[in-house]
Amino acid sequence: MWLPILGLLLGIGIGSTLAIPIPGIFAKYLSVALLAALDSVFGGLKSIIEDKFDGAVLLTGFFTNALLAALLAFLGDRLGVDLYMAAVFVFGVRIFQNLATIRREMLANWMQKRRLSAQGANKDG
Amino acid sequence: MDNIKKWRTPVLIVFLLLGILISVQFHAQQIFQSNLSLQSTDDLTLILKGLQDKRTNLEKESQDLEQQQQALNSDTTNSASLVNNLTEESNQLKIALGVIPVKGPGVTVTIPPGSSIVYLDLVDIVNELWASQAEAISINDQRVTTWTTIYWNKEKMTITVNGADVTFPCTIKAIGNPDTLMSGLQLLGGILDNLAVYKIYPTVQRSSELDLPGASPPVFHYLQTVP
Repeated sequence: MWLPILGLLLGIGIGSTLAIPIPGIFAKYLSVALLAALDSVFGGLKSIIEDKFDGAVLLTGFFTNALLAALLAFLGDRLGVDLYMAAVFVFGVRIFQNLATIRREMLANWMQKRRLSAQGANKDG
Repeated sequence: MDNIKKWRTPVLIVFLLLGILISVQFHAQQIFQSNLSLQSTDDLTLILKGLQDKRTNLEKESQDLEQQQQALNSDTTNSASLVNNLTEESNQLKIALGVIPVKGPGVTVTIPPGSSIVYLDLVDIVNELWASQAEAISINDQRVTTWTTIYWNKEKMTITVNGADVTFPCTIKAIGNPDTLMSGLQLLGGILDNLAVYKIYPTVQRSSELDLPGASPPVFHYLQTVP
C-alpha cells in the first residue's frame, strides 16, 4: 500500500539530485507531459479500485499519453495552433473525472463495508 | 487482495517516473521563471512597471540628496563669508585697540636733545594730537593706546612711555589729516607756543606715509562682559 508513495518520494529525490537541465522552451511541453502522466496515474488508481487494472495498459498509457501530449503541444506551437491548451483542458477534465470516480468508488466501498459489519453485528446480537 | 501483486510493479514504476517528472518540471519551472526572455508579456510589463517605479523613486531620492548637498554647500559659503566678516571685524577692532602696526599720512614731531621737557609736556602734545583728530600716535616707536602710561621715573631720572625710557631726539608720530594735525599743534597759544616759553622748539614735519608699530595686546584677568 505504501509502495507507490515510497516510489513517488524516491522519484522526486532522484529527479532533484540529478537536476536534469531542461531548456526553457521545453518546460511548457514537459508540463503538458506531466499533466498527461498525472492523468494516467489517476486512471490507473481508478482501475485498481474498479478491479479492472491492467499493468500493460497503465504503462503504455503513461508513456504514450505523456509523449503524445508533449508532441502535440510542440506541433501546435509550430503550426500556430494552441494545441497545448487543448491538452491542458482535456487532461485536466479527465483528471477531475478520474478523481471523482475514485472518490465515489471509495465511498461506496466504505459504505458497503459498514453495512456488512453492521449486519454481522446484528447477526451476533 | 491477490491483485496487489498484480498492480504493484507497474504502479511503482509509474509513480517513480511521475516523481522524477514532477521534480524535473519543478526545476525547469524555477529556471523558466528566473529567465527574462521566456517570461510572458504581461509579466514583463509588470516587471518593467516595477522597475520604472523604482527608478522614479531613486531619481527623486537623488534629487533630494542633490538639494541637500546644495544646501550644505551654501551653508559652507555662508560660514566662509561669516569667517571673512569676523576676520574683518577683528582687524578693525585690533586697529582701534592699536595692537597691530598701521600706516598712513600724518605729522612727525621731533623734540631735539637737551630740551628741558617734562612728561606733562609729552602728555600735552599727545592730547593735542588726539584733539586734532589723530587716528594713531606713537612716541619713539611706543604706540599710544588706552593703557599707555607716560610718567617721570624718579630712580632713572627719565621719562618713560609704556615703561620704556624716552631717549632724545624724541619722535612723536601721529596718523591723521596732516593739515588738521599741523594747525592743531601750531594753534596760537597752543602747545608749541607753550613749549617755546620753556625754550623747547620741536620740529613738526608733514609725512605722506608714516609707519606706526603695534602695541602688545592687553591681558584681561578680571574683566567680564555685561550681558
